[in-house]
Amino acid sequence: MTGPINTFPSRAREQAVLTPEQERYNKLCQKYPHARAPFSRRPDLSRRRFFNIAGAGLVGSYLAGSAKQAKACTVQVSQPVTAHNTAKNVIFIMLAGAPSHTDTFDLKVLNGTTPAAFNPTTINGVNWPMGLMPKMGQQLGKMALVRSMSATALVHSLSQRWTQIGRNPSAALGNIAPNIGSLVALEKAGDRQPGQVFPTFLALNSAAAPGNGYFAATYAPFRVVPATTGINNTTNPLGQPAFNELWSRLHQLDDPLRVNSPLGTDVDDYDEFYTAANQMMYNSVVTQAFSYTNADSQRYGNNTFGNACLVAKQVLAANQGTRFIEITLGNWDMHIDIYGISNPKGNNLFTLCPVLDNGVGALLNDLEASNMLSSTLIVLVGEFGRTAGPITPALGRDHLNQQTAIFIGGGVVGGTVIGSTNATGSDTADFGWSRQRYVKPEDVEATIYSAVGINWTTVRCDDPFMRGFEYVPMSEENVYGPIDELWG
Amino acid sequence: MATLGIALLHAQDEVDAPQIPVSDPICVFFSGQQAQFFSNILPPQSNGGTVAGNARTNAAKLAKLTAIVASLLPPPPGGGPTSGAIDLANAGLIDQYLFSAMKSAGVQPANATTDWEFVRRITLDLTGRIPTPAATLAFVNDTTPTATKRAALVDQLLASPQWVDKWTMFYGDLFKNVSQNSQITTYPQSVEAFYQYIKNSLAADKPYDQMARELITASGPNSYDTSNGQINFVVDGVVTGGPTQDIYDQQTANIADVFLGIAHLNCLLCHNGAGHLTGLSLWAAQQTRTSAWGMAAFLSHTSTTSTAVSPPATTPRYWGVADTGKQNYQLNTTTGNRPPRQPIGTVSSISPAYIFNGATPNSGENYRAALARMITADPQFARAAVNYLWAYFFGVGLVDPPDTFDPDRLDPDNPPPASSGFGLQPSNPRLLAALTQGFIANKYDLKWLMRQIVNSQAYQLESEYDGQWSDAWDTLYARKLVRRLWGEELHDAIAISSQFVPTYEIATYGQINYAMQFPETINLPDGANGHVTMWLDSFLRGNRDDQPRSEDGSILQALNLMNDTFVMTRTASGSPQGALLPSLIGTSNTNLVNQLFLNVLSRYPTPTEMSEALANLSNAGTRSQEAQNLLWSLYNKVDFIFNY
Repeated sequence: MTGPINTFPSRAREQAVLTPEQERYNKLCQKYPHARAPFSRRPDLSRRRFFNIAGAGLVGSYLAGSAKQAKACTVQVSQPVTAHNTAKNVIFIMLAGAPSHTDTFDLKVLNGTTPAAFNPTTINGVNWPMGLMPKMGQQLGKMALVRSMSATALVHSLSQRWTQIGRNPSAALGNIAPNIGSLVALEKAGDRQPGQVFPTFLALNSAAAPGNGYFAATYAPFRVVPATTGINNTTNPLGQPAFNELWSRLHQLDDPLRVNSPLGTDVDDYDEFYTAANQMMYNSVVTQAFSYTNADSQRYGNNTFGNACLVAKQVLAANQGTRFIEITLGNWDMHIDIYGISNPKGNNLFTLCPVLDNGVGALLNDLEASNMLSSTLIVLVGEFGRTAGPITPALGRDHLNQQTAIFIGGGVVGGTVIGSTNATGSDTADFGWSRQRYVKPEDVEATIYSAVGINWTTVRCDDPFMRGFEYVPMSEENVYGPIDELWG
Repeated sequence: MATLGIALLHAQDEVDAPQIPVSDPICVFFSGQQAQFFSNILPPQSNGGTVAGNARTNAAKLAKLTAIVASLLPPPPGGGPTSGAIDLANAGLIDQYLFSAMKSAGVQPANATTDWEFVRRITLDLTGRIPTPAATLAFVNDTTPTATKRAALVDQLLASPQWVDKWTMFYGDLFKNVSQNSQITTYPQSVEAFYQYIKNSLAADKPYDQMARELITASGPNSYDTSNGQINFVVDGVVTGGPTQDIYDQQTANIADVFLGIAHLNCLLCHNGAGHLTGLSLWAAQQTRTSAWGMAAFLSHTSTTSTAVSPPATTPRYWGVADTGKQNYQLNTTTGNRPPRQPIGTVSSISPAYIFNGATPNSGENYRAALARMITADPQFARAAVNYLWAYFFGVGLVDPPDTFDPDRLDPDNPPPASSGFGLQPSNPRLLAALTQGFIANKYDLKWLMRQIVNSQAYQLESEYDGQWSDAWDTLYARKLVRRLWGEELHDAIAISSQFVPTYEIATYGQINYAMQFPETINLPDGANGHVTMWLDSFLRGNRDDQPRSEDGSILQALNLMNDTFVMTRTASGSPQGALLPSLIGTSNTNLVNQLFLNVLSRYPTPTEMSEALANLSNAGTRSQEAQNLLWSLYNKVDFIFNY
């Protein structure tokens, strides 16, 4: 167990050379001094159309322009910390809709409520529904269960976004904050090797995942729905030589408008997508990594979530630059008939848990077999938990702050439980970690950054409002931090 | 004429002006527009004599002739001569406010658009189409003064059926007309009915306040009924897995979002503003959940239910909306999608009360009719409507995002106190107020509002900007921000310009040719995994539920524009579908290039573009392939993909 984190010397901030416009805004900000206030407090600075609370995120565009330009104030490290740096890759599995923790990862058997078919089994001290998730149950030795997590908001869209950007979407810079995956992509951009053609951040079955925020478009999630044939349209019907000719004609004609575009950086960004697309064409590495056989799909459960897990494994094995993969598995919002009492064939834990179990079970086996598990951190987390105790009159469970997060691989010590809940699972009884409070999405975010060797206390000075973008909120006050106990 | 042609040929030889499109020994320069041409090169005060006579003997006059001719050609897209300086003397209210704000900030506006730029931009923004070659040329060659002819073009576009299609799509997005969302399925028949309502309302120039009242108060037994499609607006607020109050809350939240631009009401239906919304909205931070319930109580007599179409089959279903309830908003829930609602002291139910002034329904007045009356009388209704359209045309709302209005921070004559830490919210509060007043005074006429916006010189600024641009100036509107075309616009532009327009057979709707006519943005035209649907989806049409329409770019879009059969069938070798290439391939190289540019990009090529294209076309053996290459390139050009 690590001790409390030491205090750190005050940050040394490089003095930026400001344009007159920035001077003006800084004067306005000084006039309304709220260091930690949401940026919406700033007078006369309206958000731009891209900043949509529920939206798909921002194309880097003008903001990336400012990041690309040479600036006196770029990346700042606020405090020297020791990141664990045990993971090369991350697979972030968003359990959208919020799974019932007391029926799954923090099983509470309640007589007269818990179905017998759950087959609750104690495995090394962990009570686990082997009737729902046998494959994961057999691999509990690889997993760390964090049972003291608690969400702040109980709204799906808000909390899902919160979980994926590691901060309150309504708070300071929340609206331009990048997906955790985009931040990892930015930090790991320097690791990319020439010839690597996959985007650093891959999003499978994650159409609603937040995008790159104010970061450059190159850090946007590459959104793919897995298919046996791989990615659509990576070849041209005319064949490769003809396509190469087309490509050359296009650039001859259009580069004056594409490169340092007089129309603005939105257009520059578009050219980046074309370049990345071109690199993915006629590339057997792409086809191999993104396509799959029916036999493999069967092993993973023969459904789109399993296929995403399969593709994730293949993409990481291809070592083509992808470091962060987000997969979304939804349908957990079981307000109605959570045990399939009224409609066994409907959406309930008996129909959905096997999907998770088959996919994750096969993924862990394959990663271990190819010696990649110890360098791949897998995170399973929902946006909150569900009500504990008896089920509701609708035979379901409603939203609850209390939840469980699971960490696997990437240097995390398996077979552990951090924190515990009360008898029903409705609240935390023991926090189980050094900060002695609920684990929050911001802590999960810090944990991920620490695992891959990113200083989570970094504050960047390149956000469009020059307020400083914190990798993890309130890092100067050391409010949030990695769950170091995961590393033993 | 022939003499003139020879003169021009010699002019070309002697002064080497390759940009003159000359296709034949017989000069057909500006064919069909000789009168225009003559009037420009033979001004009344010319040196006398014919051009032919002078051109052969006077190099200086040749040069002048060349210059005049060249100036009639479109300027290069990256800048060049503009149509004129900003005229503030005759400016409307938008220009007065915006240009004085720019002046105060010391920010130079971009140049004014050329006619070429304007005709493409306005046709796309108003009708979702690129202009036809004939429309483009007619406009740029029209000698009517700029402001007059632009206003006339605007009127023409506003009156077109394509305007109806485009804005049916826009308001379909806003009102969230969709057959399936994360809560319920309403089925294509309901979508068709709602689509017809929106379309017919726009085609009839229905005032926006009337539309709002009709949508808020809509009632009827059957959501499939095309004469009553508006009930689907109420149906779309249904949520499952909870008590009826959850439905009232969502229906109220939708109304507040769409018609008041205040999404924060949704937050207040779960909790008080204090603590949660502090720092986000001065107004909302002072509201309570109880005051928000007062709004939801206007829905408390409304029941929204579904019925199986063909029992015993449980699906498909249609929906009905009726005001049969008698109870107010009950505080008696413990489960569902929102925190428990329990009595407050002795108060066990909430009566309707308009959150901004506490107004209650008149005696015996239908609750939703009262709410509709109050909302449409509220200037915030007009303000939100104005701002949603502003955000579309200008790329950034005066309040942005447009559903985050803070009612306590809008009045420039009553700004929030400095101690609040807040300033005024709109980037130009007096402009928003003036435009709002105008919208009300003009009886919530959407076309009036659109005219105000697009006839302004601010809207007509170029996207190109001389000098260093700063992101902070976006809200000064000192340049026109580019807009990536909607997927539907790209689809239709490719189909129409290549002259190969598809026909989609869509169950319930029948035959549709243009993507802008699709009733919704999911699963059309060929099913969830259909190839055209996936092509359109890659351009992020949104799902009218939790994913708004987005202008983000992506690798998939690039792959689709470069390689998808939708583009390749119209440009590939062999016999590409579509009459455009075949109709041009037999003409001269110069004409081929000019017409391809004009059809696809709505402009002629620059001299550089022309000479590159001619060089590629010069080999007879590969000419046909190179023509196709050129068309393909044009569809992948950024000045095709973006509205600039």
